[in-house]
Order: sequence, then C-alpha cells, then structure tokens
Amino acid sequence: MTAFIRLENVSKAFGPLTVVKDLNLEIEKGEFVSMLGPSGSGKTTLLMMLGGFERPTSGAVWVNGKRIDALPPYRRNMGVVFQNYALFPHMTVGENVAFPLKMRKVARAKIAEQVSRALDMVQLGSFAARKPSQLSGGQQQRVALARSLVFQPEIVLMDEPLGALDKKLREQMQLDIRELHRRLGLTIVFVTHDQTEALTMSDRIAVFNHGKIEHIGTPAEIYDRPRTRFVAEFIGETNMLAGQVESVAGDTAQVRLASGQQVRVAASAGLRPKADICFSIRPERLRVGSGDGAQNELDTTVTDIVYHGDHLQLLLRAGDQQLLAKADRSGKIPEAGAPLAVSFSASDCWIVA
Amino acid sequence: MRPLGLLKGGFAALVVFFLIAPLIAILPLAFTDSVFLNYPIPHFSFRWFVELFTTDVWRRSIVNSLIVGSAATVLATVLGTLGALALRGKRMSFFFAAIRTVFLLPMVVPAVVLGVGMQLIFARWGLANSYLGVIIAHTVVGVPFVVVNVLAVLQSIDVRLEHAAASLGASPPTTLWQVTLPLALPGIVSGAVFAFATSLDEVVLTLFVAGPNQRTLARQMFSTIRENISPAIAAAAFVFIAGTILLALVLNLVQKARGASRPA
Amino acid sequence: MQPGTLRSRAVVLALMAPLLLFLLFFFAVPLFTMMKSAVSDPVASQALPQTAAAIRGWDKAGPPSPEITAAFVADIRNIEDDELFGDLVRRLNSAKAGFRTLMAKTRTAARETDGAVDLVSVDARWGDVAFWQAVASAAASPITDRNLLAALDLKRDAAGRIEVIPPERSANRATFMRTFWVSAVVTLACVLIGLPFAMVAASVQGWKRQLLLGAVLLPLWTSLLVRTAAWFILLQDNGPINSALMWLGVTESPIPMIFNRVGVIIAMTHVLLPFMVLPIFSVLIGIPKNLMPAAASLGAHPIRAFWRVLLPLSMRGVVSGSLLVFMTAIGYYITPELIGGAKDQMISSVIAYYAMGAANWGMAGALGLILLLATIILYTVYIRFSSEEEVRR
Repeated sequence: MTAFIRLENVSKAFGPLTVVKDLNLEIEKGEFVSMLGPSGSGKTTLLMMLGGFERPTSGAVWVNGKRIDALPPYRRNMGVVFQNYALFPHMTVGENVAFPLKMRKVARAKIAEQVSRALDMVQLGSFAARKPSQLSGGQQQRVALARSLVFQPEIVLMDEPLGALDKKLREQMQLDIRELHRRLGLTIVFVTHDQTEALTMSDRIAVFNHGKIEHIGTPAEIYDRPRTRFVAEFIGETNMLAGQVESVAGDTAQVRLASGQQVRVAASAGLRPKADICFSIRPERLRVGSGDGAQNELDTTVTDIVYHGDHLQLLLRAGDQQLLAKADRSGKIPEAGAPLAVSFSASDCWIVA
Repeated sequence: MRPLGLLKGGFAALVVFFLIAPLIAILPLAFTDSVFLNYPIPHFSFRWFVELFTTDVWRRSIVNSLIVGSAATVLATVLGTLGALALRGKRMSFFFAAIRTVFLLPMVVPAVVLGVGMQLIFARWGLANSYLGVIIAHTVVGVPFVVVNVLAVLQSIDVRLEHAAASLGASPPTTLWQVTLPLALPGIVSGAVFAFATSLDEVVLTLFVAGPNQRTLARQMFSTIRENISPAIAAAAFVFIAGTILLALVLNLVQKARGASRPA
Repeated sequence: MQPGTLRSRAVVLALMAPLLLFLLFFFAVPLFTMMKSAVSDPVASQALPQTAAAIRGWDKAGPPSPEITAAFVADIRNIEDDELFGDLVRRLNSAKAGFRTLMAKTRTAARETDGAVDLVSVDARWGDVAFWQAVASAAASPITDRNLLAALDLKRDAAGRIEVIPPERSANRATFMRTFWVSAVVTLACVLIGLPFAMVAASVQGWKRQLLLGAVLLPLWTSLLVRTAAWFILLQDNGPINSALMWLGVTESPIPMIFNRVGVIIAMTHVLLPFMVLPIFSVLIGIPKNLMPAAASLGAHPIRAFWRVLLPLSMRGVVSGSLLVFMTAIGYYITPELIGGAKDQMISSVIAYYAMGAANWGMAGALGLILLLATIILYTVYIRFSSEEEVRR
C-alpha cells in the first residue's frame, strides 16, 4: 500500500547551495508528522515544496497516488499555517476565513455558516468583524488555523506556527492542535525547531540535519533509541561516552572507557571486541549514589550544581569527561568538589556509533 | 555648549527663514488691489482671484491643467504600477536594474532636451498642438514618481501573504487583485499625487508641445511673469499652494486609514 | 527551465511591456530624433537625393558625368519648398561664393524646360569644377558635423580642417562655460548652507528635527514656478528685500538683484537646497550615534573629532548631493530664464531659442546633445558613487 504523501528522492538547490539532499519520506493518512531540526536543515524548504511554493530541483512529490510537483499551490487544496500567521490585514477576521470558500465559489449563505462554525471551533466566534491588527498574537494564530481548516483540506502544513507565542499560550495551542487533529482526522506536517513540541504532539518525528533525514520514528524511538549521534544530542540532553569494546557476552558488552573505568553496555547487533564505540546515556538515568545492585558504577567529582526549579542539574566530571545528571531536591544535596558515585544499568546505555 | 547651541539655533533659524520666507512673502500679494506686484499693499481685495477665475485666458488654463493633469495622472499611475509590479523583488540581476534605470530616466534628462525632441516628433505624428500630445508629455515625466512609490510599498508587502492566498485557492490574477493591489494602494495613491503635482507644475515640455488652446495654468503663469507681470500671479500661486496643501492632506488621510489596517 | 518559470517570466515581461513601449515611443524616440537632427543635413537628403546618389562615384577632379548633371537638374526641378531651396543655396554658398545668382538662374532654366538642360550654356560657371566640388560636398552625406562643431564654436574651413569661429560670432562656448560656472557656484552655495543645516537637523530630535525637515520639504512640495515667481517679486528694486535693506540703512540705493547673476544664483540656490540637504541628512542619520562619544573616549577633542570623524563620514552625502544639484542646475530653464538678464542666459535658454524661435533644429539638437551627454555622464558617476558606497557598507 502506497503512503498518502510520498516524497521521492527530492532535492532542492538554491544556486550552489543544496538545501535538501535526495530526500525520501512517506506519510500515512491521518498521521501527525513533525519535521524537527536546527535552522537551515531544510525542513521549511521541504514544507514549501509540499505546499507548492518551491519546486524541487529533482525528485517527485506524490499525494494519494497522484504526482503533484508541477501543480501550483492554489490547486493543491492543502491548508497552510505560516509562521507569522499571514492574515490579510485589509480584511476582517470573517473575510479572512471566508476567503478560501469564496475562491471555491461556495454560495454566500453557506459561507457565512461555515465561517462561523470554523471560528467557533477555535473559540473566536464573536470576533468575525474585527481586523487582524486588533487581535493578540494567540488570537491571530487561531484565526489562521480556522482559515486553513474551513475548506476541509485533508492535509495541513504548519511552519513553526507557535514560535512567536509565550510558553503558556504555546502549550495550550499544542493541546488544541492535537485535539483538532484527532477530531477531524487530518494529516498534519508540522515544522518546528522545538523538540519538546515535537515530542509531545507527533505520531512520528523526522529529524533533519543538513538537508537529510537522520532518523524518522515515534517520539519514544527517537528519544530512547536515537539512530545517530546528532539525533541523540539534538533531542533532549544526553551524555556521550566513548570507549573500546573488550568483550561481548550475549546482549551486554564490556567496554573500557578512556578514563580506564569499565562499564557494561547493552550490545547492539554485530558488535565485535576491539570496536570503538560511542554510547549515550540520558541524565535522568544516572542515579545518584551506589548500591541497589546496579550493573554499573561510575566515580565522578561534582563540578557544579544548577537549580532548575523542580529538579537539580548536576555537572560531574569523570576523568576528562563531562557528565550531566539530574537529582530531585529531596535527599542530600551534593557539594561542589565532592566525589560522587552514579549508577546505571546496561540497558540505560544506547550505542549510537 | 551654550554658545554652540545658540549658534546652531541661530543658523538653523536663518536657513529656515531663507527657505520659507519667499513662499510666505508672495501670498499676501494675492490680495492686493493694485495692479503692481509689490509691497506695500494699498488695499486688500479679491479682484485678482476674480480675474483668475473669470478671465477667459486664466479660466481656460485652469480647466486645461485639470484635464491634462487628471488624464496624465491616470495614465502614469496605470503604466507605472504595471512597471513596478514587473520589477518587484528583482533587484539583483543586471537586466532588471537596467530596466529600472530606464523607467527613472525621464526624471534625469533635462526637460529642454526632451522638449526639443518631442516637438520634432510630435509634429511628424500629428500630436502637435493637441491635448493628447500634452497629456503624453506630462505622463512621461510623471511615471518615474509612480514607479518609485509603488515599488517602495510593494517591497513592504510580506510575500507570505501572497503564498497564503495561493494556498487558499487564489490564482495569481486573483491574488494580485484581492491581496497585493489593495495592500499597495497607499503607494499607488502617493505616486498618483506626485504625478499630478508634477503635471500641474510642468512648464518646459508644455512650452514645446502645447498649442495656444492647450495652455495649462503653469504655462500661463510663465508667460505672465515673463511678459506682463501682474498680481494674478500671486493669486495663482496662492491657488497652487492651497492645492498642494490639500493634496498633502489627502495623502496623509490615506496613510492614516491604511495604517489602521496594517498588521499589528 | 521548468514550465512554471517560463510562464512567470512571460507574465513579468507582459507587465513591463506597456511602460517600456510607452517610454520607447514617447521618450526614447524623441531623444533619438533630437540627436538625429543634430547631425542630419536636410540639404543632402531632401534637396539633392538623386545628385547625392549619382555624385558618389565622381573623382572630384575632372568634369562631372552627364548622369550627375542630369540628376542635379532633376533635383532642382523637384524642389517645391522655397525654404528648402533657400537652405540649399545658403549651404552651397557657404562652401563657395557665387551660388546665389547661379542657383537662381539654374532653377529658372530647369523649370522652363523639360528634359535635359545644358548647364554650361545656362551659366559658364558650371564649367568650373570648383562649383561642382561645392555641390559634391553639400550632397556628400546626410550626416554633417556642422551643428556639433558650431555648438562648440568650431567650423570647418574651405579645406575641411577644423578652426575656431571668431568670438564676435560665437557664443556657445561662453554659454556652456557660464552654465557650468553658475551651476558650480550654486552647488558650492548649497554645500556651504546645506551641510551645516543637515548636521544641525541630524543632531536634534523630536519637533525641532520635524521643523527643520519640514522647512526643507515644504519648498520641494511647492511648485517651482511659484517659488521662482516669489523670488521674482522679492528681488525687485522696489521689492521687500531692497526695501528692508534700505530701511535698515545697509544701503542707500536699491541693489540690483534681478535680471542679473546674483539673482539667478540666489533663486537657484533656494530651489536646489533641498537636493543637497536631504542626501547629506540621510547619510548623517545612518552614522551610529555612539561614534562621536567613542572618539571622545579615545581622547579626541570635539573639534578634532568633528574634523576627523564626522566630516569625512558625511562626505558621501556631500558628494552625492553635489552631483545631484550640479546635474539638475545645468539643465535648468525656468529659473534662469525668468530671473536672469540677457547676459545670464544658460544653455537651456539657447536651446529653446533655436528650437522655438529660429526653428534651427540642427543647432537645437546639437546643443541639446551636448547637454544630454554632460547630464548622462554626471548621472553615471552619481549612480556608480552611490552604489559603490552601498556595496562597501
């Protein structure tokens, strides 16, 4: 079964600069896919190609079995929410939302009805007569959302729509968008550079780097089993440790770190002794203190303690390696300069390279 | 710093006086009742305004100015807006920079030079001593102002608004009509105002291409100053200045009205 | 090229076309026509077309061939326009004296008989090669450099060498010099007044700055004719300025300020001052506000800081403004025409005279061509200068 949206070997170059390199991506109907990555990684360009605002230098774009890369944007029937909302300043909120219906030559009475329904959906029913300049950022965002949904597109593209909102509003909007996605059965392609946003909202996340997708998977997969070092370091915080494999026994491997200490790490398939590896271990997996029969123990020195509201962040040093750990505020607070042992199990480690 | 401040202020005041005083000096003379155009004013009277609006030669020149001005403004605005739309967002390449220079050349070339050429060729084409000829001449010098103003406002329009319109189903002509042009209106209007003001003030080209029946107000003023100076000049100048202030107010109001609908 | 790009390119061309075509017909063609009239010689192309074609092969040594004489007779017979005939005679006469009577006789003879005419029997002078050489030089080419040379007070002598026209009969060089001189003085005056004014405007804020800028913009908005008329009134012998000066006791009798150089310079400075102030002002406000304090913190005395920091940085605006003012001033017509006297005529007045007064399109075109050239050169320098600075930023 072919996917609903398919990007096949898509590349985009602006002069000498290749922004998207030979990209393949399949999106199922009804999925919420986030495109995550640093600025300049090509994710917005890809979205623009999906929407028809840029044409691929090479490759093809398929929707529902039909090839659309030659189709101009006004015939693609996709909802698009832009970063700065792009509401028409010379039209009222109601006229903005009615615009796509006018384009589709819907009857006047029906337009009024659908507009009010769309505005109710985003809780802005009484704002139809106002001008966009009279609305707050969050309200403008919701109007943009209503406008992109009123003509019932199957696909909605969103280009960092929540970037300009403050934290509380952003989190509320994330829930609202998620709710709309479920209720209306939309296929949403969502561009963001905020990994928390991607992790909380998406069915799948595509992590972009330098015009290529380094890893595409569910949030859990991306977070717990990142395919590359870049993904591991881009998503959440992590500690990267390097070492050499000494022996492999079943599903664990014995690894000697640069500092000389030995740890047991969950082995990946085909791992051989004498291999140089990098593995990642998330800060929250490093338990302060020893004991409890943990598989691994590391001796470290505390270099700094940072207050983070609901938890403490510990900066530790093992040999010449910097480590990050999390501790809750109950229990003994370690002192800077003091030695500290941290423990973790083999399955907490994930080999990335 | 005090003496320096005084020096600055004094110098600035002198220059401001130099710039503004001539304009103010001419205005009261519009109300003199003497046939001589100088001070002191013996008595105040409206006779020269009456003369301006009732004398055949002056009245006809005012009508001509309005006819030619309106037509030239409309023509210049349409042509200039189209040209600006073509140049929009294309500053880099040599080709478009050259086109832009061409559109602005009428502002640079001395009017006398253009006038000679126009007189020669208009005679050959049957445009001499005709309204059409004068209108065309005024359009040529008004177009650069429209192009500059419209280009400036087009640059300030976020291209994502047009992307949004396209994503919502608007074809390029629809986007132009429903989104781009309404948002560009302040620039178009200010360009039109400049074109109108330029046409009103145009003397040199008019000297070369207009016949006796197409004499505009400016042309008439020029002859009067040269041959038969009279306070009617001051009255005409008063009308000119009043008209200019009116235009400036119109511009201001348009900007304010548009400003209310600008994005926050 | 992708099909979408092709279509959008066609759209761009379609948008550009109306204005381009309009300017082509009503701007480029007039200019070109003027340039053509500067170098065209109506005599050869209009009066002696057949002769011009036939005489091309003549060696100018021996007598002309029968084809040439026959063509000449045909051309003379065909000239209906007396003015054109007069031009032809003048032209021939300026090459060799004696053509007036010769041509009159020849014309009568050509009109009275049809068919071939034996020119030598009409007048013996047609046997003299020298006269035919004169005809050859007149019919030589449709292009002549006569007007261009005359515009610079030059002409060709009988042998074809370029020589200077004696000063009693030439005025063009003097006019050009005068035009450049007056424009230069006006530019200097604008710099001396405009630079400090722009600096003051850039150094104050709020209503003061608005006032100063408004004072500059208001004249720009006012019609040029109105401003010139205002000066016309002010500069009279019994005008407000002289009255005030006499009342203040500065002078006993009125200072002549109108219909002379002084009045022209004052009026043109007033009109062109905004074109100097605005470029300098826009350069000054682009200078970071903390530059002068920085200079002070590095130990520079205020005057030194001004001299070595602010002034050089504002030079860009001064050069830009000066080019603009000078370029505009040399082409000015209205103000010098109305305020100046007979001895203050600038080149634009002379051009207008030749075109409208004397119908001498050749001279009007030639002088106009030189003025146009000067303007284009200055404009190119101006463009290069402002874009170069943009790139350097």
